[in-house]
Amino acid sequence: MKKLTLFLIGLAISIQAFALIPGEDGDRLLGVWEPSNGRARVKVEKIGSKYYGKIVWLKEPNDPESGVPKTDKNNPDANLQNVPLKGYRMLKDFVYQGNNQWTEGTIYDPLNGSTYSCTIKMTDPNTLDIRGYIGVSAFGRTDIWKRLAVKK
Amino acid sequence: MQHQFNNRWKSVVLSLGCWAIIDVAQAQSPDSTKQEITNDEDFSMYDNVGFADEGARRYCSPKIEGLSPAKLISVGYDYQLGYGLGAGKFTNQANRILEPDSARVLNSRGLRLGFNIPVISRTDLVWQMGANYWEQRYSMLDPDGSKLKTDHPLLQTLSENGLRTFGVSTTLFKPLDDTRFLLFQGSADLNGDFSPPGLMPLKYVKYSAALVYGIRPHEKKQWGVGLARTYRVGELNYIPVFLFNWTDPANKWGTEILFPARAHVRYTINPRNMLFGGFELEGQSYRLWRVSNSYSIQGEDLEIRRGEIRLRAMYEFSLKDFVWLSVQAGYRINYRYEVDRLVGGQEIYRAFGLLSDEPYVMENRLGNPLYFNISLNLVSP
Repeated sequence: MKKLTLFLIGLAISIQAFALIPGEDGDRLLGVWEPSNGRARVKVEKIGSKYYGKIVWLKEPNDPESGVPKTDKNNPDANLQNVPLKGYRMLKDFVYQGNNQWTEGTIYDPLNGSTYSCTIKMTDPNTLDIRGYIGVSAFGRTDIWKRLAVKK
Repeated sequence: MQHQFNNRWKSVVLSLGCWAIIDVAQAQSPDSTKQEITNDEDFSMYDNVGFADEGARRYCSPKIEGLSPAKLISVGYDYQLGYGLGAGKFTNQANRILEPDSARVLNSRGLRLGFNIPVISRTDLVWQMGANYWEQRYSMLDPDGSKLKTDHPLLQTLSENGLRTFGVSTTLFKPLDDTRFLLFQGSADLNGDFSPPGLMPLKYVKYSAALVYGIRPHEKKQWGVGLARTYRVGELNYIPVFLFNWTDPANKWGTEILFPARAHVRYTINPRNMLFGGFELEGQSYRLWRVSNSYSIQGEDLEIRRGEIRLRAMYEFSLKDFVWLSVQAGYRINYRYEVDRLVGGQEIYRAFGLLSDEPYVMENRLGNPLYFNISLNLVSP
């Protein structure tokens, strides 16, 4: 009976651990990443079961015309045009699907105020293929993001 | 019958193009309303970071900030107002001399379809493939305004068949590092009056290409120099090309130049509304009378060398999300509209008169009308 109890507890722990694997794998997306243009750094966080990325650094933090910190002035929604870009959530709603892919999300481009459907694929632990597209994946563009770490 | 087939075919293509643009646009539902800012952290901690992978490299982007968006699908219509067309003297195979004749072109117009799909779109390589269909149809009258009555073969075929182009193209952008890049553009076009209708032999394909070595010193400027094989002045030429795309610090003014093919000054009202002023050099060689040799010289093929300069103003704006409308108006200046022969199937390469002064077999005169162009476009991310 004692052995059976231990076996059942062990089985339960194994099932629980297995159930957590997708979430743990998905958490490899967490961290700070740099898009290929090097103009920004984006920190990916997890909220609930979804992944979000916010701008935490800008190569050119201030508006060249006004000299004040940049805001989302190209957003078609006038209510959002005064929102600071630092802290802006440009990746939204990504769900880990397994096989190193996060889908169902969107990416926002502050340069033109457009939001695109987006998928993320991790090609190695420090590299992401970020594909923004319109409607169908064929009408899109892939950007390679690199993981950042604190300089030693 | 043929006319009905053409119209039906055109309707199908036009409908598919519009459907693709609208459907893809509707499939996208941007969510820009939710934005919760949580600025409770010290952003300065992200100043002192570097690549986790020390071997990682940065590559320059094919675009610069402020550049007008690239068109993935384009459905357009081009319309030129009236002008005079004087077709030159011509001697055919039987040495029968056809005297010059002229016509009043009420208008020339046509559909312009373009597709440009990214095949590989990565930071270290961008490869796009495209296809296009352009047509130019002519409504003509006799100079006195009566119905066109002419024996002149050029006026006859333009009036009955017009000119058409079917083409495929490819663009490769290869960044060498974070500032230097190579840009290659190539195209293959079948052009002609397509009389009678059907496919032309591939030996009449016209190949154009350009290779540019460029530098992108910062986010708002890229420039480059290169060499092009082009038909933009109507006949084959090898010319140097100069790329200069630039945006001012305030993102209001800029240039989009690939000289001599096109050069525009851009004014950005906002990223979804842009004005342009400048010119485009347009042209191709079109094969004529593809089956009948009644008008050939010693069995040689004949082609129109058409080149024109379009001085223009354009307004491009977003109708909804990624669907943009482009309207343009301008002045079409004829540069060349001569009929030339192929010698042994080969084009005569004149190099602007430096290598050959062989005359054209028919020299024609065209008036310079106002023109308008409108297109619906699905633009790229």
